[in-house]
Amino acid sequence: MTTRWIRGTVVAAAMTCGAAACSAPGGGPGDGGSADSVVIGVASEPDTLSPLLGYGKDGNSKIFDGLLARDADLKLVPALAKALPTVGDNGLTYTYTLRDGVEFSDGEPLTAADVVFTYETVLDEKTNNTSRSELDAVEEVRADGDGKVVFTLKYPYAPFAGRTVLPVVPEHVAGGQDPNTGSFNTEPVGTGPYVLSAWSKGEKLTFKANPRYWGGAPKVRTVTMAVVEDDDVRATRLRSGDLDGAVLPPNLAAAHRNDSGTKSRDFRTYEARSYDFRTVTLPTGNEVTGDRAIRRALDAAVDREAMTAGILDGAGRPAYGPLPVDDPWFAKGIEHPQDLSGAERILDRAGWREGADGIRARNGRRAAFTLLYPSGDKVRQDHALAYASDAKKAGIDVKAESATWEVIEPRMKDDAVLAGGGSTGDPDFGLYTLLHSSLAGDGFNNMGHYDNPAVDKALDAGRRSQDEQTRKAAYDTIQRELVKDPGYTFLTHIDHVYVLADRWQGLTTQLEPHEHGFASGPWWNVEDWRPEQ
Amino acid sequence: MARLAGRRSLFAAPVLLVVTFGMFAIAAASPFDPVRAYAGTAALGADRETLDRLRTNLGVDRPFAERWWDWLTSALTGDLGQSSVMRQPVAEVIGERLLWSTLLCTVAFAAAVLGGTLLGVLAARRQGGWLDRTVTSLAYALSAAPVFWTALLAIWLFALRLDLLPAGGLTDTATEQVTAGQVVSHLVLPAGVLAVSQLPWFVLYVRQGVADALTEDPVRGARARGLSEHTVLLGHALRSGLLPVLTLIGSRLPELITGALLVETVFSWPGIAAATVEAATAVDFPLLAALTALAAVAVLAGNLLADLLYGLFDPRVKLSEM
Amino acid sequence: MADTAVETEWRSCGTRRRSARTVRVAASVTIVAATVLAVLLVPPLVQLDQQAVDLAAKLQPPSWAHPFGTDDVGRDLLLRCVHGLRVSLLVGVTAALTATVIGTAVGATAGALGGWADRGIMRLIDTFSSVPHLLLGIFVVAMFRPGVWPVVVSVGLTHWLSTARIVRAEVLSLRSRPYIDAALSGGASRLRIAVRHLLPAVLPQAALAAVLMVPHAMWHESALSFLGLGLPSHLASLGNLIQNARGSLLAGQWWPTLFPGLFLIVPTLAVAGLAGAWRERINPRRRSELML
Repeated sequence: MTTRWIRGTVVAAAMTCGAAACSAPGGGPGDGGSADSVVIGVASEPDTLSPLLGYGKDGNSKIFDGLLARDADLKLVPALAKALPTVGDNGLTYTYTLRDGVEFSDGEPLTAADVVFTYETVLDEKTNNTSRSELDAVEEVRADGDGKVVFTLKYPYAPFAGRTVLPVVPEHVAGGQDPNTGSFNTEPVGTGPYVLSAWSKGEKLTFKANPRYWGGAPKVRTVTMAVVEDDDVRATRLRSGDLDGAVLPPNLAAAHRNDSGTKSRDFRTYEARSYDFRTVTLPTGNEVTGDRAIRRALDAAVDREAMTAGILDGAGRPAYGPLPVDDPWFAKGIEHPQDLSGAERILDRAGWREGADGIRARNGRRAAFTLLYPSGDKVRQDHALAYASDAKKAGIDVKAESATWEVIEPRMKDDAVLAGGGSTGDPDFGLYTLLHSSLAGDGFNNMGHYDNPAVDKALDAGRRSQDEQTRKAAYDTIQRELVKDPGYTFLTHIDHVYVLADRWQGLTTQLEPHEHGFASGPWWNVEDWRPEQ
Repeated sequence: MARLAGRRSLFAAPVLLVVTFGMFAIAAASPFDPVRAYAGTAALGADRETLDRLRTNLGVDRPFAERWWDWLTSALTGDLGQSSVMRQPVAEVIGERLLWSTLLCTVAFAAAVLGGTLLGVLAARRQGGWLDRTVTSLAYALSAAPVFWTALLAIWLFALRLDLLPAGGLTDTATEQVTAGQVVSHLVLPAGVLAVSQLPWFVLYVRQGVADALTEDPVRGARARGLSEHTVLLGHALRSGLLPVLTLIGSRLPELITGALLVETVFSWPGIAAATVEAATAVDFPLLAALTALAAVAVLAGNLLADLLYGLFDPRVKLSEM
Repeated sequence: MADTAVETEWRSCGTRRRSARTVRVAASVTIVAATVLAVLLVPPLVQLDQQAVDLAAKLQPPSWAHPFGTDDVGRDLLLRCVHGLRVSLLVGVTAALTATVIGTAVGATAGALGGWADRGIMRLIDTFSSVPHLLLGIFVVAMFRPGVWPVVVSVGLTHWLSTARIVRAEVLSLRSRPYIDAALSGGASRLRIAVRHLLPAVLPQAALAAVLMVPHAMWHESALSFLGLGLPSHLASLGNLIQNARGSLLAGQWWPTLFPGLFLIVPTLAVAGLAGAWRERINPRRRSELML
């Protein structure tokens, strides 16, 4: 009885495998070594593939295109639009002319109605899109004939064009469905270089080249995104030859580089520069972290160079503000090395005196606070431990504690958090939500309840002005104000490290934002890859 | 036999009712926020207003008993709700993954039973001999070793150092087809580790059972009749020695599931146990609840199976009396 | 012929076995004592500064200065293991005590009341055992994580079943003793009998169960922590140490994984060895009752 039962199950299993093998789509030779297919290990899987719920909102979605796209240098270039938009009415209207002859992968032509449908659905209250506020400036979207789309804004919003990389979906497919639950979420149809051919949830997504792609069918015909959440597992599978490329934490990428035992394949490591900062929020409401002397002392006491070298294995840069040091908007001159005696001087002058236990105190209040970091995030954990270690040298007692976001969120206004962030495209995208006092405590915007009138004013000026010089001055002011009152201790900008088999030529990486999944890495433009000669 | 199965099923129904009700009660007392779980990482950038609207759209503010009843009635029609972490119906998640978990557990369990019986008999044959002492000490040491630790060291040794076996997954990712050969090579390491984690128990019980049987009257009688040691061991001692083991096989099912939870996670095996851990991490209640209930069903079925086996192997037991 | 050979061997094994047992018991006692001492004494003597990060000394292999090597932010692993053992042991003991209290209360109630209440409670226990321990534990921590208490509660809530069964059986056997009948007929209240006679009698059983449960509870804590669902990662429990070491293991550094695991295994074996010896003394015929 036992044996029969067990054997029965195994046979059933084998039979189902056989059936799965027969019914699996495609069927081209899945040769792992050829240049026309690639298997990439990514850390997270999109919840949905529908742009209506936020998929691919910053471009490089593989399946879809926006009106505009960004090139290797993040410059906006036309995509579904024929050209960059014409801006009128003092920055209140944006007019896009659509490219001719673009078809969705199901053969239907793209029209202005599709664009309007996309934006109106995203702006609809009933759509569960968590990043709707990015389109906050939009008053109205309308089609002007089949080939033109006109956006009317509520207020002049200088970086608006950067938001129109939002992917466009076909109304004839997605229109009849509930955007929150409809099948479009898992069976997307777009104009992009690839079409989804299979999605096995939690395991992998397979994309096939779209022969109808308006930019010409891609040379890499099959792209597989293997979902491997755990960094360690991803590294193992890359090493065992199961993956062609993956995003890895710096230490594992370094281990990979040093190891020649990979199965007769050459790998290249790509370190993508990023806007992705790690910072410590210093809540204004907390008596210790809200104190300007403490904030400045912490800013002086941290050893950013050691963190970059020790935690990031050199794959990153010290961060002295929200913008990376090589950004064109970066305020030159705010860089400074670790200065422990400087930190002590600041604290002495402000009346924080050293107690018996080596921890400073003022009026009976100890210079101590809790620093929360999200559990499971090794890089943040290491940053937090190193930060606490540095703070202690200046006489400030920082207790690093891990917690889940559910726990951290209600405590953000009182406790420091090891946060990350950073957006590409325009300084407004990242800085406004990070620093504006009107957004203090609004979800994960301005987590530290930073409140600085000079910064608020400059943020508004930067957002509303069309003039390059005025904007540059505004963002300069913000960065210098942050040095005077560092309500966030910026620690590092981390490079995103990718390892990829060396089978293609001339690969590039973009400057990357905090979020990185499918869209970032050397495969941001996999549709343009050419095989190695 | 049918009567027993029927009675067990009758007992199973209230058990499942209590278990699922308990789960909903615990969830109701929990401070977790299903809205945040639904939005995932995207919620981290979302504003309050957006989250509030999500809350209304998801309808999570009703009393828990009501939601339990809704869940239960729709579960009976096969609708187990929507998994927020996998973004697909729970029933579909289970359908896709159950097979792989069953395969892993069956292979590991079979290996553990066979290996355990073999080693146990060998050890019992010469109690106190070097083989016995080696096997017993190893068994005790292994039973104390956490399976996730053994799994990590196994990956280090077999996948990284020796480069013999793949370190995880079900197939090579490059291929879209699930072929038997690939599955087998990917199965060896996780199934081996899971089997090794279950092995000590079987070894020690079989050894004990056979050793006890060797001192019992029928065996002594057989020996006295001049039967060969081989016949005595296999024909008599093994049969009566295995009996207590058989009855307890069902009770090993929870341990097997526990082991699978850890092994599937370490080896990224796409089974339901790994899904359970993912669901727990993401506080995906619908999936977690369904999988917990499923585990309860599996355990109850295991108990029934053990009873049936016992009846089949031991003619003294009448199933109608159980 | 065969018979006598076997007989001789049995006898010779007997003496060898006895001396081996002495060695085993001595070793177990030493290990348990060393564990307890290390856990009690080392942390107060050697201040482990959780914050003492030394990025320059990260991931050094075992050496005289660091017998177990250092972890990925340069902390000494031997100290971290001792502290980890302390954290794990604290959680394990607390959870085991919780489970024992629940188990004793439930088991004694079932045994003392008998009848419908007994049957009901036993059904409830059966119900509880139909969900695998770790899974139920995962469910509880998933809903209340993170923190120390959810882990203690989840381990405590899932481990009282066996204690309840043992205590109930003990109480049932006691109930049939003549002196209980005598007390009853003498007009003593049920409560009084339970407190005066039953409880003292079942306590040794419950205590043994509690001691045996500690390694098991530690194992559970480690498993939960390893899955990222247990203790918050800033607490240096053994499970967290192993979880933390995964990346290093793949980068080729085996020591941060190996040592915390050994710290879990060796004391577990020692406790099992002690309990085994204790049972052998009570009941020498059944040589090694299995406690897995």
